[in-house]
Amino acid sequence: MNSEFKPENLKDVEIFDPRDMTPVVPLEKAESASHWEVRTQEQPYAFLSDKKVDEKNRYGQLIDLVDLTGLPAERSMYINENPDVGVNPNRNKQHGFFFTADNCIGCHACEAACSEKNENPAHLAFRSVGYVEGGSYPDYKRMNISMACNHCDNPVCLKGCPTRAYTKHAEYGAVLQDPETCFGCGYCTWVCPYNAPQLDPVKGQVSKCNMCVDRLEVGLKPACVSACVGNALDFGVVENVPENREQAKCSIPGFPTPEITHPNIRFQQTKTLPNEMMRTDSMPVKYRKEEDGSFIPMVDQKKGKEKHWNFAKLSSRENPLVLFTLAMQGVMGAFALTFLGSLLGVGFLEAFRASSVYVPLLIVCLVIGAAGNFMSAMHLGKPHRFYRGFNNLRHSPMSREILGVAGFMATLGFHTLFSLPANGVFQSLYSGLIGADISALISVETATSIADGFGVLCLAFIAFGLYYMTRCYRIEARPFWNHYQVNTAFVGNLISLGGLLGGGTLVVSLVIAGVDYQAALVSCGALVCLGIALEGLGLLGHHRDMSSANHEGAASHYIQCTTFGKTYILRNVLLMVNLVLASALTLSAATGVVALAGWLMVALVLVMTCLIGRALFYVLVIPTTMPGAFFWKNKGFEEHARDIGLAEMPQVGVVPHVH
Amino acid sequence: MLFGRKNRKPIVIPEKKVAEWKYTTCNYCSTGCSIEIGLSEEGKVVTSRGHAGADVNRGKLCIKGLLEHELFESPGRGTRPLIRDKFHEAFQPTSWDAAMDRTADKIKEIQSKYGRDSFAIVSTGQLLTEEFYTLGKLVRGCIGTNNYDGNTTLCMASAVSGYKRSFGSDGAPGCYEDFEHTECLMAFGSNLPEQHPIIYWRLKEAKEKRNFPLIVVDPRVTMLAQFADVHLPITPGTDCVLINSMLHVIFKEGLEDRAYLEAHTNNLAELEALVTQDKWAPENAQKECGIDEDRIRMVARLYAKAGSAMSIWTMGINQSTHGSDGVANINNLNLVTGNMGKPGGTSLSITGQCNAMGTREWSSCSGLPGYRMLEKPEHRDEIANYWGVDPEFFPKQRGLTETDIFPAIETGEIKGLWLVATNPMTSMPNTPRIRKAMEKLEFLVVQDCYEDVETNQYSHVYFPAAVWAEKEGCHTNTERRVNLVRNALPAYAESKPDFWIFNQMAKRFDHGKVIKFPETPEGAFEEMKELSVGTSRTLDISGMSYEKIEQARGIQWPYRASEDGRKGQEGLRGDPRLYTDGVFQTPNGKANLICVDFVNNNEQPCDEYPFWLNSGRVVEHFHTRTRTGKIGNCNKFSPTPYMEMNPDAAEELGIKHSEYVRLTSRRGDAVVMVQLTHRVARNAVFIPFHFHDCVNRLTLGLLDPYSRQPAFKQCSARIEKIDQKEAARLNADRRAF
Repeated sequence: MNSEFKPENLKDVEIFDPRDMTPVVPLEKAESASHWEVRTQEQPYAFLSDKKVDEKNRYGQLIDLVDLTGLPAERSMYINENPDVGVNPNRNKQHGFFFTADNCIGCHACEAACSEKNENPAHLAFRSVGYVEGGSYPDYKRMNISMACNHCDNPVCLKGCPTRAYTKHAEYGAVLQDPETCFGCGYCTWVCPYNAPQLDPVKGQVSKCNMCVDRLEVGLKPACVSACVGNALDFGVVENVPENREQAKCSIPGFPTPEITHPNIRFQQTKTLPNEMMRTDSMPVKYRKEEDGSFIPMVDQKKGKEKHWNFAKLSSRENPLVLFTLAMQGVMGAFALTFLGSLLGVGFLEAFRASSVYVPLLIVCLVIGAAGNFMSAMHLGKPHRFYRGFNNLRHSPMSREILGVAGFMATLGFHTLFSLPANGVFQSLYSGLIGADISALISVETATSIADGFGVLCLAFIAFGLYYMTRCYRIEARPFWNHYQVNTAFVGNLISLGGLLGGGTLVVSLVIAGVDYQAALVSCGALVCLGIALEGLGLLGHHRDMSSANHEGAASHYIQCTTFGKTYILRNVLLMVNLVLASALTLSAATGVVALAGWLMVALVLVMTCLIGRALFYVLVIPTTMPGAFFWKNKGFEEHARDIGLAEMPQVGVVPHVH
Repeated sequence: MLFGRKNRKPIVIPEKKVAEWKYTTCNYCSTGCSIEIGLSEEGKVVTSRGHAGADVNRGKLCIKGLLEHELFESPGRGTRPLIRDKFHEAFQPTSWDAAMDRTADKIKEIQSKYGRDSFAIVSTGQLLTEEFYTLGKLVRGCIGTNNYDGNTTLCMASAVSGYKRSFGSDGAPGCYEDFEHTECLMAFGSNLPEQHPIIYWRLKEAKEKRNFPLIVVDPRVTMLAQFADVHLPITPGTDCVLINSMLHVIFKEGLEDRAYLEAHTNNLAELEALVTQDKWAPENAQKECGIDEDRIRMVARLYAKAGSAMSIWTMGINQSTHGSDGVANINNLNLVTGNMGKPGGTSLSITGQCNAMGTREWSSCSGLPGYRMLEKPEHRDEIANYWGVDPEFFPKQRGLTETDIFPAIETGEIKGLWLVATNPMTSMPNTPRIRKAMEKLEFLVVQDCYEDVETNQYSHVYFPAAVWAEKEGCHTNTERRVNLVRNALPAYAESKPDFWIFNQMAKRFDHGKVIKFPETPEGAFEEMKELSVGTSRTLDISGMSYEKIEQARGIQWPYRASEDGRKGQEGLRGDPRLYTDGVFQTPNGKANLICVDFVNNNEQPCDEYPFWLNSGRVVEHFHTRTRTGKIGNCNKFSPTPYMEMNPDAAEELGIKHSEYVRLTSRRGDAVVMVQLTHRVARNAVFIPFHFHDCVNRLTLGLLDPYSRQPAFKQCSARIEKIDQKEAARLNADRRAF
């Protein structure tokens, strides 16, 4: 339309940039620091440029971490043992990411910069980009989400880690993890809502985003932020809104509720999104817009409504934990039943404890318990570091569970040892082998009272261990687990399996001895009934709550009802039938071959339902992780790549099945 | 330390321990980003970083550039020359001398038996400019075949052709800085965030400083389309209809820049007469291009009324049967609105390969060095004199393009072929046809960094080439910026720089003893500088030197020795724009307005093949994945081919997300995994082209009549269900990397 421009005006046109990006650390100072080599002619976008520091964040926590913790300022972080203190004047302020979701183009530059700097192999990433999408062509919107660690105010990873591999630093508020301390249990990956800690199945240890504290110390933004090509990712003192940005929300579609951990990330997302945003990965979750404009997760029926068996898929990486938890609950129950019963003066249990079958039962419990513990330890990435499990008793339910279980095993061991002198078979063996009476070593009475002492301690450890075993699974980031059903299942199985193991041994011994076993059979049978009923009630409540829930737990339940639909129904039917059968047997107080055969049936069905139920429990859980992409961070594709052998090529980024 | 830690835990972050940074330019796309490669004390490549002082990328790099330094020792690199008599026999390792002697003998044998042009050479846009120049000298000056082209025919030929038709010469008239000045930007078939992330960032930065309307023409809802102020989801292949209709509105409403048109263009009356015809009125055009008349008018007015407006385009235009016409028509639009050679007003072709420009300028593929033409006797004389050969040795017009060379192999006209850094077995449309042609060759030599490049299965001799910073030389980027790759490390195993290979080959031909072949790339660069001198020549690099280029992190041409000291940036700034004075490289100095009539000759969706089949790039891969397919942190984002398909269409066919399907077209079939998304229309699918034995088994690739570039993006296909286990096995089998 107009051609009034003159060619001679073209030389070296000045371009006005309205953004003030004055660095927090002046260039000369940054260049003088030893933590990171600043690039030649480094650009303003790479420098931290906070203009203010608020006193408190939106949750009311102090942003100044020296004020918050009382720890001294000017302390070295000893990054790679470098004793220099960083030159960043804001180094004691809580920092966080700022993500302009409107701008992310999903170009992977942040991920690549991160993986390059941290030398991560293809199957591991501290930062990942996934997306949600909605609408219909051409009115279609994709929103990419780049997510790493949010260095939370309430680092649930740190609290959960049994080995104390995590530290939340007074410098930048960085939550850092030491892979060399980690023993690879993966518990932090369970509790983190954002999938930030990365369990490397090859190395058997976790590692995670280190906030690029080396760059921060010289006043540079993290590598991912500096690499961002969409102007989506930014970083600074938390609650600060970057130049040219106008919003600082706590959540965007696909991002789990910030209430769990108070993450140090803020978002801008102003563009109108469709009412439903879908995930391209295999998770049966989508997000629905609420009246206030926020998005909540809901079930996306990706797998249709058809019910399948999928027995083979019940087997997972967590198989050792299926066996460990069931084994521990069974032996704890068996011991508690027999020992506590005898203490409480239940006649047939007093008699049982006095019999020579008691110690063999204890030994069976010890062996099963040891096997369970062995499997649990081998499930670790670094089994030889199992002893580190006690390191975080202060915060970690897992440490406490380990303490409880270890205490149980130890006290049970001593209880068994000191129960030996009272055991008739042992007495004759001892005198036969040693040629002296056991009472010469320790009197039966002394031994029994010591055994009593350990037994009582053992009961305490059972209560403690079982409680923390349930606490381990009451994880907010895993809504399918975070339900009282965990408690009813674990206690219920303790009662039912304990009744089965303890009562079974008792009754069989009585039957073999040819004495009356009705009371024992009915009492233990009643316990089995109680256990099954308790588990069943919990499952009913779980079904009710998960069916109406708006979270990933509902998605897990959907998978339970479809992919594993037939298996799930089978388990439920077996559970009910078993309860009816066991109740009928108990109420009839029947004895004899037919009744015993009936109980044998109950026992088999009980073991079967427990195994199916526990396997479902582990295999179904859908954490509140970030949405993945079509290939990367898509569980469905990972499984497929393993199945068809693509995973054998390391550049596919999927770790193959361990053979 | 919070939470009561008493003993500090070590903080270990990998340290790269860089002893020296080497300056290079990225070897993937045409953006031309500066990268510094970090070398350890032992000279090992340990890291890289974008050069923050380079005007192009200002420190930013895309995923490919960030990880590029990991490719030097990737699997599949060629370690030594290989040789065999028949392509179905096993390769035998051999010496460089033996491999080259055999090749030279075979070339001479074929030429003497069937004629000079029966041996063809197809190169690439991936070599360094000095290598292109040397290859051109070898081919035009020594071997003397006229069937010599680059794979740039697959990506940039239409832009070149359109520029030549409009302006009389190739070379993008604009630059990235135009984003900072424009008041309206229109992108045709260009998805910057995926294809050119750093150019996208430059655009985004410009928009953050000063927002301006962005119009995106694309049948897919790409990220750029999503971010656009106006997205025009056009019917594939009908861009010329849209542009003619916009011109119709502009002329009808008197929005054209008549003063500019009258002063600086030819053919105004003819163009005006054409586009003001009723058939280009928006109410009629809308039926063909799928954009409603209101939007056509709105966009035309927005564009014409903007103080400055610019267009960018990529393969959406170039890879169609109206590629050259599309480019010429975009040029029309900008000439008509007076947007040429001014800040923010330009026709900027966003080029594909890192050195597509270098090959266009200096390889002699389509003519002679320095944009000289075989058709002009004075150009033939100039070069013949400079090289010291008889001008009669040169053909008097251009020979076959790459896309005509393969049909000539089919017909038996061409018996031997030398492929340099290109992989037609994956990249050419209609793979079944290419495979058949390859089988017919009496002699094929493949020169590539990768031994496992799929085309190598038909070769008789394989030359292992060095890659990127294993060599030294220049690239020219999209905005005519000449930039330098410094040699950072020795060539892998027994591989050799392409420059060395061409020089050694030259020694085996008679003219090679007459013509001077400089020992070093810098020597060749000096020759190019001398050949670029000319008062009216835009492609003038005579003021440049390796030292100056590195100091400036790239210099745009023209940069004339005669004008030393006149420019900004400490005297190291070339011209950011061409045609600022309204003088063009045509005989009368005026730009040509090209009349573009539209004939829809594309294969259209029909009952039998109801889907539009579109192909394109993804950000993590480059070309045929020989490089990115082996870098895990690139490849993992799409390790296997996939197809974007509309969920509503899938529902009708009973196809589910993540399932495999079989596609068939009139050419062949392909098996691919389905990604359901509303990004594509109900009657359209999109498949990335990077994967071997995938989308190009289906594509038609009709040729543009001017540029001979194939229309990769417009053909039709059918989708069928397939046994999932069989498909998965097939998919895994087809992925060697």
